[in-house]
Amino acid sequence: MTQPVLEVRDLSTHFFTDDGEVKAVRGVSFEVMPGETVGIVGESGCGKSVTAMSLLGLVQRPGKVVHGEIMFKGQDLLKLNKEELRNIRGRDIAMIFQDPLSSLNPVLRIGFQIDEAMRSHDKIPKDDISQRGIDLLKQVRVPDAVHRIKDFPHQFSGGMRQRAMIAMGLSNKPDLLIADEPTTALDVTVQAQILELLRDLNEQTGAAIILITHNLGIVAGLCRRVLVMYAGEIVEEGPVEQIFESPQHPYTWSLLRSVPRIDSNRQDRLLSIEGLPPDLIDLPVGCKFNPRCPFRIERCFNEPPVIENVADAQRAACWVTMTRAYDEMNAATITDTSPGAASGVHPRGRRPAADLTPAATAETLSD
Amino acid sequence: MAVVAAPRADQEFASSTLVREQASLWRDGLRRLRRNRLALISAVYLILLGLVAIVALFWTPYPTSAIGVAQIYSGPSGSHLLGADELGRDLLSRLMAGAQISLSVGLLSAAIVLGIGVVVGLTAGYFRGWVDGIISTVINIFYGIPALLVALLMVTVLGRSFTNVVIAISATVWMDVARLVRGQTLSLREREYVEAARASGARSGKILFGHILPNALGPIIVAVTFVIPSAILFEAFLSYLGVGIPPPTPTWGAIASEGVQALRLSPHILLFPSIALSLTLLAFNFLGDGLRDAFDPRQKR
Amino acid sequence: MTRGMLTYIGQRLLLIAFTVLVVSFVVFLGIHSLPGNTFVNERVRGASLALLLHEYGLDRPVLVQYWDFISHAVQGNFGVSIVNRGEAITPIVLRELSVSAELGGAALLLTIGMGVTFGVIAALRQNTWVDYSLTTFAIIGYSVPSFVIASLGVLIFGVWLFDVTGGAFYYPLTWDGTYGTVVELTVPAVALGLFTSSLVARITRASMLDVIHQDYVRTARAKGVKNRVVVVRHALRNALIPVTSVLGPLIISIITGSVVIENIFGIPGLGKEFINSILSHDYNVTVAVFTMYALLVGVANLAVDLTYTVIDPRIRY
Repeated sequence: MTQPVLEVRDLSTHFFTDDGEVKAVRGVSFEVMPGETVGIVGESGCGKSVTAMSLLGLVQRPGKVVHGEIMFKGQDLLKLNKEELRNIRGRDIAMIFQDPLSSLNPVLRIGFQIDEAMRSHDKIPKDDISQRGIDLLKQVRVPDAVHRIKDFPHQFSGGMRQRAMIAMGLSNKPDLLIADEPTTALDVTVQAQILELLRDLNEQTGAAIILITHNLGIVAGLCRRVLVMYAGEIVEEGPVEQIFESPQHPYTWSLLRSVPRIDSNRQDRLLSIEGLPPDLIDLPVGCKFNPRCPFRIERCFNEPPVIENVADAQRAACWVTMTRAYDEMNAATITDTSPGAASGVHPRGRRPAADLTPAATAETLSD
Repeated sequence: MAVVAAPRADQEFASSTLVREQASLWRDGLRRLRRNRLALISAVYLILLGLVAIVALFWTPYPTSAIGVAQIYSGPSGSHLLGADELGRDLLSRLMAGAQISLSVGLLSAAIVLGIGVVVGLTAGYFRGWVDGIISTVINIFYGIPALLVALLMVTVLGRSFTNVVIAISATVWMDVARLVRGQTLSLREREYVEAARASGARSGKILFGHILPNALGPIIVAVTFVIPSAILFEAFLSYLGVGIPPPTPTWGAIASEGVQALRLSPHILLFPSIALSLTLLAFNFLGDGLRDAFDPRQKR
Repeated sequence: MTRGMLTYIGQRLLLIAFTVLVVSFVVFLGIHSLPGNTFVNERVRGASLALLLHEYGLDRPVLVQYWDFISHAVQGNFGVSIVNRGEAITPIVLRELSVSAELGGAALLLTIGMGVTFGVIAALRQNTWVDYSLTTFAIIGYSVPSFVIASLGVLIFGVWLFDVTGGAFYYPLTWDGTYGTVVELTVPAVALGLFTSSLVARITRASMLDVIHQDYVRTARAKGVKNRVVVVRHALRNALIPVTSVLGPLIISIITGSVVIENIFGIPGLGKEFINSILSHDYNVTVAVFTMYALLVGVANLAVDLTYTVIDPRIRY
């Protein structure tokens, strides 16, 4: 059996702000096999980007990885010193970011920035660097690469900039490429091209890809496996088709219901998720999704659910799971998705509406 | 009828939210300012200095220009707290009168610069086109010449007097405020509530002074606060070089200049006006920084 | 260098010429409208005064005089001094320009070197005591007037520490035309450059703090670029763009400051000549020096704008 290229165990990253400790990522565990494509999905602020930054030790003050293990090719990245970690970054694990314009240095030429990635490490022989820069640009399908490599970022279009970012990421033939919302800032047509490029490169180079996105359609287009994050935790994971077919966590279910699908039948009405993600300083007791969950039961307010197998290769962290919700709460036909609507469970002394207000507002935080 | 009524309702709505928005902006600003300890200390210092200047109008320990009230070049002592100068004049009395000169030059220049800046900036920003073209060019030309040296020449040409010093300073430092007002006007005139006012047929004057100016007030106040120390500095500079307000008026710059002549014998003549001047400039700068953080949050780092 | 760039430089040079012309005209008119004349201090009266005025062409209409001045000035001839009867102004002004340039250059180096270094350090150590002391120092630096610092410099190094320094920074009264040494220049250059370097430190700090949180700095770190290289090549290079934009005003500020600094330290540069000529009503010299200043500022601003295109490739003229 092959070893995973990346194995994350119980990773927690907190931000120590003046207003309190923001527990952005809590106890996240997952693994990535060589050449595998894994998607991490969730709303903005659910901790998916912080997870990615934690992997590369890029979390800036006041943030700090407080707990966990990140095993990469047999060594724990969290135990490396700065120089050792720097040598992994960009060499063995590369990362590309959301906004390709702000992510490229405006005063340095594209070619220089690609070459710099290689020159910072000793993986590519010095003599090959400049030729490889051009080849990479060709490989990510930038037309007229020989000349365009001398351009500055502002002379590139949005899609081309992201291609250049990908070329930079691939320059050292990494084992793992982390793509943080790589298509969000781009036009829809360009999005498709970039995704296709990532798919081809995954096949050609064999680099594993972690794709971070809030867009389920993008996950479906590229990934084999998907992790769903909510409020800093992984709430469900499994093969993409399986999760899309039968999501078990109510959050995943709501996410999927909020995406318009061409193949869905008429009765599946588009439903939005009510409420806001919880305040990460003052988290709800029990399941973190309970303030918004239509299927919550009493237990959800008392005990945090443990992530466990719900089907072959599929795991979810839920006391109810959607199978039961379909059987007992008519989940297939409900139109009201307000908190507790399907289960009728409302905690003592709390009106349903109170659940929708985030625990800490800006007003209480500022004092 | 409905067609006429609709924009008016819009306008009322716009101006009432505007008032509320402004009220809370000012309240937030004051709260932020109160938290800024350095700005507060500076404000207290400046108020005290202002009181000293007012007191100096009616009373100083000795007449400011009376020669020989103390032994010449004598250092600080019980009867002359800050000592005396080369003509035996009481230094404390002269510094008190100097505070009056510095503050009046600063405040008067700031007021004039505010007037010029608002009129020129609003005109350029509101009418745009060739009007803006000419005004911007003039602003750029003024930025391209050493302001202080122009002021110096102006005072020489106009004659050395308090009024001419204020005129010369105002004529050479007005550009910052004008440019700021112009920029604010250019951006504010595109806002919805200005559009609404214009759609309802409000006159240009009403739009400029009723809608645009009140909203640009925060940054303008900040910019004008910074005019005061530059004006005080300019005045001191001119006096120090011997081309400012003529003697025997006791300006801090002139006293410092006399102090340099007597450096070996009695350095206190240089030190005391220098300290007074530096502290005052420092206080205005701290206060300006505090005001900027409080009332111009976009500039905040 | 592109064609557009050459056109741009050409236009700018024309604008400089225009500005210098206007400035010299206004200054010339202003100074000649003054009551009295250069010889008022010399108690020359009647026929001999008329003769003197005639000799220097001062009895002609002012516009004719200006035409005479400017048509010679464009050939590099500023005419003769009236106070030091008949001494050609151009060689004096050029010699003094070189002295001022040396002092101003030293102050500019100090401004950029010290300002940028302190600004970067303060930004990298944000909210530590290093940051607080540097920031406070910078605010004091731009609040204390240059003439106060210069006077204190004279007091400390020229009076209190005279035994150690021997008044090293005093230029001899009869200046022999050699440049000041490093020792002679240090105190005046610090006094001149402290204000501007405080300003540069403040701007550098603010812009470093802004840049350091930019996405491209994160990209550089994610690429595994060494920290030192990230700070210098990625952060500082971008942080310097706003600093470059204030270089023009900074140079003006240094020129202005040099007037007072040169007078305090007795440095025989343009600034000292400027004040002397005003005080002694040597108006040809005043106009010549001021024209020189206008030219200097124009060229300096052009140089700054060209530097801009080097440091920020997004800017094209």
